[in-house]
Amino acid sequence: MSRALTRLLDFDDQYRRDQKQDQAFLHRRDRRFAQQQQEQGKPLSVPAWLQALHALNDQRRDSGPDVRLRRWRQARWVFAGLGAVLGAAFMLGLLVYDGGRQINLTLLMALVALQCLLAVLTSVQAWLGWQPWRGLFGAQADDDPLASLRPALSARIAHTGGLLFAISGLLALLVMVVVQDLAFGWSTTLQTSAEGYHALVSLLAQPWQTLWPEAVPSQALVSASQFYRLNSEGAVSDPALLGTWWPFVLMLWLSYVLLPRLVLLVLAGLQVRWQARRALARHPGYAPLLYRFETPWVETRGEEEAPRAPAEATVALSPLPASSTLIHWAGAGMRSGAVVGALSRGPGPRQLRAGGNSTLEQDAEALREAGQRREPVILVARGWEPPTGELSDFIMDAREQWPAGTLLALVPLADEEGAALTDRGLQAQWQRFVERQQDSHLLLCAPEAQSDNTPVDADHGR
Amino acid sequence: MQTMDANDTGKAADSLPRFAVVGHPNKGKSSVVATLAQNDSIAIAMEPGTTRDSHRYPMKVDDVTLYELIDTPGFQRPRKLLAWLQGHSLSASDRPDTVAAFVNQHSDDPRYHDECELLRPIVAGAGIIYVVDGSVPYNREHEAEMNILRWTGRPSLALINQIGSDDYSADWEAALGQYFQIVRRFDAVRAPFEKHLDLLRSFGELAPKWRETLDAALEYLQALKFGRDHQALEQIADALIDMLGHQETARLGEHQDARPLLPQLRQRWQAWQREREQRQRRAVEDIYLHRRLQREESDLTLPDESDLFSERTRQLWGISKGQLAAAGFGAGAVGGAGLDAVTFGHSLGTGALVGGLLGAAGSYFYSDKLNKVKVGPLSGGFREAVYGPLKDPQFAYVVLGRALVHWYQVSQRNHAGRDVLVVTDSDGHWLDVLSRGDRNALQKSLQALARRRFDPSKRQRLIEQLELAQQAFAQWQLEQF
Repeated sequence: MSRALTRLLDFDDQYRRDQKQDQAFLHRRDRRFAQQQQEQGKPLSVPAWLQALHALNDQRRDSGPDVRLRRWRQARWVFAGLGAVLGAAFMLGLLVYDGGRQINLTLLMALVALQCLLAVLTSVQAWLGWQPWRGLFGAQADDDPLASLRPALSARIAHTGGLLFAISGLLALLVMVVVQDLAFGWSTTLQTSAEGYHALVSLLAQPWQTLWPEAVPSQALVSASQFYRLNSEGAVSDPALLGTWWPFVLMLWLSYVLLPRLVLLVLAGLQVRWQARRALARHPGYAPLLYRFETPWVETRGEEEAPRAPAEATVALSPLPASSTLIHWAGAGMRSGAVVGALSRGPGPRQLRAGGNSTLEQDAEALREAGQRREPVILVARGWEPPTGELSDFIMDAREQWPAGTLLALVPLADEEGAALTDRGLQAQWQRFVERQQDSHLLLCAPEAQSDNTPVDADHGR
Repeated sequence: MQTMDANDTGKAADSLPRFAVVGHPNKGKSSVVATLAQNDSIAIAMEPGTTRDSHRYPMKVDDVTLYELIDTPGFQRPRKLLAWLQGHSLSASDRPDTVAAFVNQHSDDPRYHDECELLRPIVAGAGIIYVVDGSVPYNREHEAEMNILRWTGRPSLALINQIGSDDYSADWEAALGQYFQIVRRFDAVRAPFEKHLDLLRSFGELAPKWRETLDAALEYLQALKFGRDHQALEQIADALIDMLGHQETARLGEHQDARPLLPQLRQRWQAWQREREQRQRRAVEDIYLHRRLQREESDLTLPDESDLFSERTRQLWGISKGQLAAAGFGAGAVGGAGLDAVTFGHSLGTGALVGGLLGAAGSYFYSDKLNKVKVGPLSGGFREAVYGPLKDPQFAYVVLGRALVHWYQVSQRNHAGRDVLVVTDSDGHWLDVLSRGDRNALQKSLQALARRRFDPSKRQRLIEQLELAQQAFAQWQLEQF
């Protein structure tokens, strides 16, 4: 089987393997190969690509042909064997000569013509892609890469059988010529004159008349060879003369059975190779491969970032301590009476502001003032924004300045109106922040439901 | 993802356009980078505000880096940092050096880890892309951050990212204009591809020496997009070839009745179709680098009844027998009827009546031939029962319509998007956008597929026809929304 077929199957195998890979990988791999080939001045071809991949994957090609070609190879051997046997049998049957009457050249020529016709039909069928025998193979897989080559492959098998048929027939003829006294004659029901018959055989002998003139029957031989089965008494004046037809028969077989088969077999082989190349060029993986060869590999993604799951956190909300000191971090909830009402006990709570656009001096002042009140402090923050290092610093500074044991209740809000944070992810984020501070007097709290939303002057605490 | 190298040198880095994406925590820096770097692992990987190290996302063409985006942690202590800078600077001329001094002095200080991470690439020569959330009101608390960035003296661009539904972009624009050379609005989740390119083009405006490289990069990105669209088409074409021509077979004894096999074969056929469709979906998502996409899509379902034009079919595929017949579409005697399958009964308008009679003949002709098990000749004591392909012309358009809806959504989706991709069936007459000749050619190809008479050499032609369908679908989508 030709290399083109093996290449096609190899390519198809690689295509199927590649379908499990992502496009980015394939593009990178093939573009790299194309660049290497160009740098080394080597041709950029599918065989070279396959070879490089095999080398990279340490794949050693089997010494034998592809298993998918085995069936075709076996069929070829069977047809060759059958052809050899049938060819010899055919010729022996045709040349049976018991002395009763001559071997009829007309029949022989008709059978040669039939052989020739069959050979041509086989090739025409393959060229047209017609497969009347398709059902014999049963259901064919839709994705068989050899599907489009079946007619050509079948024709090649048929021609192999035909060639062996012709060769064994020729050998049988030669054997019979040597071991028997064959006497050829011609007979037909049609009113054909010896001149007409001579014209026919001369026409058939055209291809070899200069090459081997003895193999061209003379007018005398033709006239002497006509026989009628009823005319059993018709004595043959020169029996040896009838045997001189054998060079003509030999050349007839050679020229109209063996040579056409040989030529058509070669053509079928070329057709298989050509169609295998065409199938490769039309393979769904071929154009994308060329695209990957030719197109620069564009990478924007960087390497993959491994998903980083945040540490597990069990949200533990503490009861809100009674306090009338509020610090609004970055002004969170400062303008909402609902927030103040939900977080503080008693009227007129002290509202301070820190963080955000406050200056560091204003932060320090808020800390000092809150510490002087000697009661738990409620620190209100926007829960939907992540806690920053500045907030952490603020808590540490408070701990240094305030009396030991001062409770600090951190209250992240869900909105500026004071709703409690319910999003589990955001709650966990604040829980982790509290745990990172390692401060036993820092509590994570939620605003309590408040029925009386007393409006408060936003600038009251400034 | 590469952790920043502490030994970055300013001069070497200056020749390569690099952009540090900086800002307050949780304002969409990583979303911007995810979209521009086309990397959906960035947005998913992090908890808001937890980016702790800088990560580089280089744009490479054949291993040559054309530009680099750097995702940085958010500012944690901007006011203290600014106070330090003010306390160590004598005049405006030494400000960039003062920032560099801050990074040098605090590189081992865990409290300023994030500030050092975000300032280091800037000190090394990167341009600044400052990201704010335009859906919250402007607040002066960001001024410390903006002042610090101004102190670096690097080219800078402010990006107003729209996270929520409220829009305070105008206020932000006015404020940011005082601090940054260029101010742009950009919705990292919804901005179409052309906007990505516009934004990158703006990056090139920050420094003249970067412009040429950025322009080259944009050309590559544009070509990459075209290439992906074409690759997606190939995937759709291969899926159509496989799905429309698919057969399920079973072996039958010589005298065994084939009819009881129908439900089993039908079930196998349907399962195979679903699996193949899903494979096509994953392939298209992979082409556009959406590797963590969650998708919701109804299964491709074959009507239960043997008559595909039953009431249930009409509900399922949205077209009645009468509509199918009336909407002949002029695509030929037997195939024309199916073209309106994807119109779901809304298409008896332009061109629908042309060829209606022929289409009607075709649809009724088909209705008798669908969904049967064919039995092959006796071979070796067995016969082969074959189910499929489904010759109903509307099936081809249902498969194609679904594939185009999915392709369109995936190709338009940004990598910062985290919501589930909901793929609906095509519910409009996108085929109307195609010319009559193109519709007929497409119809012929689809018919050949369904009859298993598709020559592999015609694959390229089919892809070209699908390209027109793709363009028509995209145009129709733009007209709709």
